[in-house]
This record gives sequence, structure tokens and C-alpha cells, in this order.
Amino acid sequence: MADSDNDSGGAHNGGKGSEMSPREQDRFLPIANVSRIMKKALPANAKISKDAKETVQECVSEFISFITGEASDKCQREKRKTINGDDLLWAMTTLGFEDYVEPLKGYLQRFREMEGEKTVAARDKDAPPLTNATNSAYESANYAAAAAVPGGIMMHQGHVYGSAGFHQVAGGAIKGGPAYPGPGSNAGRPR
Amino acid sequence: MDHQGHSQNPSMGVVGSGAQLAYGSNPYQPGQITGPPGSVVTSVGTIQSTGQPAGAQLGQHQLAYQHIHQQQQHQLQQQLQQFWSSQYQEIEKVTDFKNHSLPLARIKKIMKADEDVRMISAEAPVIFARACEMFILELTLRSWNHTEENKRRTLQKNDIAAAITRTDIFDFLVDIVPREDLKDEVLASIPRGTMPVAGPADALPYCYMPPQHPSQVGAAGVIMGKPVMDPNMYAQQ
Repeated sequence: MADSDNDSGGAHNGGKGSEMSPREQDRFLPIANVSRIMKKALPANAKISKDAKETVQECVSEFISFITGEASDKCQREKRKTINGDDLLWAMTTLGFEDYVEPLKGYLQRFREMEGEKTVAARDKDAPPLTNATNSAYESANYAAAAAVPGGIMMHQGHVYGSAGFHQVAGGAIKGGPAYPGPGSNAGRPR
Repeated sequence: MDHQGHSQNPSMGVVGSGAQLAYGSNPYQPGQITGPPGSVVTSVGTIQSTGQPAGAQLGQHQLAYQHIHQQQQHQLQQQLQQFWSSQYQEIEKVTDFKNHSLPLARIKKIMKADEDVRMISAEAPVIFARACEMFILELTLRSWNHTEENKRRTLQKNDIAAAITRTDIFDFLVDIVPREDLKDEVLASIPRGTMPVAGPADALPYCYMPPQHPSQVGAAGVIMGKPVMDPNMYAQQ
């Protein structure tokens, strides 16, 4: 793929669907949104090639999958079914994105406050109340600090924890069955 | 003779039962891992050495270029600090959580592309919308740094590749940029002729690739059942 120097400074909504199938589009965030955010980081006279925008689209999807995978693994270890905001913040810290966590903590807390005002009665049981949110964030921060390796890089490429054995163990735990399932449960999957 | 034949039949039955027991022990699963996360830490040392061209005359140009490069890096650090400071201030102003710069439904779809992800709380896509914006801004800032080094005004794909190779926390993205763009980044770092006019002074590792899919959790091996010794057969022998 040759690097094109075409001027794509203007709105480029047409490019969103012209080269991707409808299902492929769902794998990426809209290129118009991505492009708008990119421009906020650049000088006014800067231009962005289309292949650069598409590359950032792919990078963002990879970022979401990267963080989500780590958060999902944590939920499975703790036998919880729902990924919440604290799990994502913990995963970001573990994977080296500490700078992102501090701004997001305040953001998450204020979001929960507003959600609490709207739906106090219908609050999701998996979302901890405000008083616990601070403790949870604090514990998460301490745990992350203990787990963090100075100078090291946590690398997580692909899904390493997807082994069948792990699934069976998790399934058994979720179902409340014995720690060592019998031969008959070999074919079962946790769901 | 008939008595011996009769006694052998129970022995065969016992052996069969033993085989079944041995087979039954195969589905044994190791206990669930507890304690700290099972991630393996891989240290990646990014040592950038400056290539010294032959001749004192080149040395002077190299020194001058190093100085310019250091200025650029200092400018990048300042830009990043301003960026993070503005993030705090900007987030403080947010009062409407419904107006996002990125669609929450799409974020949720990307999260659920992982089969292991089952339930997602309402706050998770909201957090990701903000985190992805910060990610795009940081990646773009670092990419633009490379664009300016090459005296261009258009951000290109190889600029993003350069930012990915230079930033440790972006290692998980190396598979997204093709090898050609990485090569561009490496070639650009080689001084050209006797008068280096473009490219950074630091030589980057050539075609650096992180370890592919490092093994973290060993697959559970097959556990052999205990062999069954029939005392009767032994006695008969």
C-alpha cells in the first residue's frame, strides 16, 4: 500500500462506507469521528492522509480489544460476569496506560453521580454505590501499584487465556459444581 | 482346567475396570489460579544508540543534528504535558454524558467481539469513549512529531508506524502497521551522503519485532492414571 499524499482535510464521510462492507464497519469507530479527534492534536494547517486515518481506526479498535481482554480476564478470575468501569481502569494501569487513569477516575465518579440521581432504585447491582466506588478505586490503585513492574512492559497479544481447560474450570466454578468435574462435563462450556 | 479358565475371567474384568479408571482420570483439571494476575512481564529494552559516521566533518553535522533532534524531543514532551493537563481541565467541564465524541453502541460491539466478554455495564463504553479520545490524541501527537522531523505538513501512515515503534505502551500495535512502513522509519534514520538533511539522528533497531504470542499459561498436560496391578495375576506368575 503506497503512502498517498491526497488532501483529506475536509469532511470525508463518504469514505466510511465506500471501501468497507457493512459488517466490517462495525469493527471500527467511524472515520469521521476519529478524524475530528486527530485534528484536535494537530496545527490548523496540518493535513491527514486517508490511510493515516484508517490506520488510527484500526489502532483504536485494537486498543479497545487489548484493554477489554485484560479486564475480562480479571472478571473471570474474580468470578464476576459484568465488566465495569473500575475493571477497565485497572486494566489500563496494568497495561501501561497509567496517564489515562487519573483523568478517567474523576470522569467515572461524576458519571456515577449523575446516573445515581436518575435511577437510584434501578441501579445495576454490579455497579458499586458511590461510597464503595472510592474504596474500590483506591484498592484497585494499590493492587495495580503492587502488580506493576517498573521498567517492564505487560504484553498481551492475542487471547492467551482462551484454553479449553481454563474454560472448564471457570464453568465448574460458576455452576457451583465440584472443583474437578467428571468425564461427562468435558464437552460443556461455561455459559 | 475348567477351574483355571473360570478364575481368568474375573482377572480380565478387573483389568478392564482399571482401564476405565485410568481413562476416567484424564479429565482431571488443575486448580484455578489464584493470586496476582497471570500475565508474564516481558522487558523490552529500547536502547537507542547514535550512529557515528566516519570523519570529523560528519561528526560536526551529526552533533548539530543531534541538538535539533533533542530540541524536537523536548518540544514533544512539553506538548504531551500540556495535553495531559488539558485533559484534567476538559473533563472537569463535562456535564452532559450523553453527548460523546464516539458512538457508545459501536464501542460496545467492538468490546463484545471477544467471545469471552459476556456482560458490560453501562459505564464501560462511557469510560472507553473518553479513553479512546485520549489514545487518538496521544498517538496523533507522537505521529505528528515524526511528520515535522521529515519537514512535511501531511500526516501519513509511516508517521503512525514511527510513533508506534518509538512508544513502549504502543507495542501491542506493531502488527497493525505493515513491515514496509517500519522499514521507512528505519531507512529514514540512516544519514544520507555526506550532508545529512533529513531523518532523526538516533538509529532505531532494524525491523524490531516483539516476541510473538508469549506463552503465559501452560496447557494442562495429560495426567496418566495410576496403573492397576492385579495381585492375583502376580501371584499366579
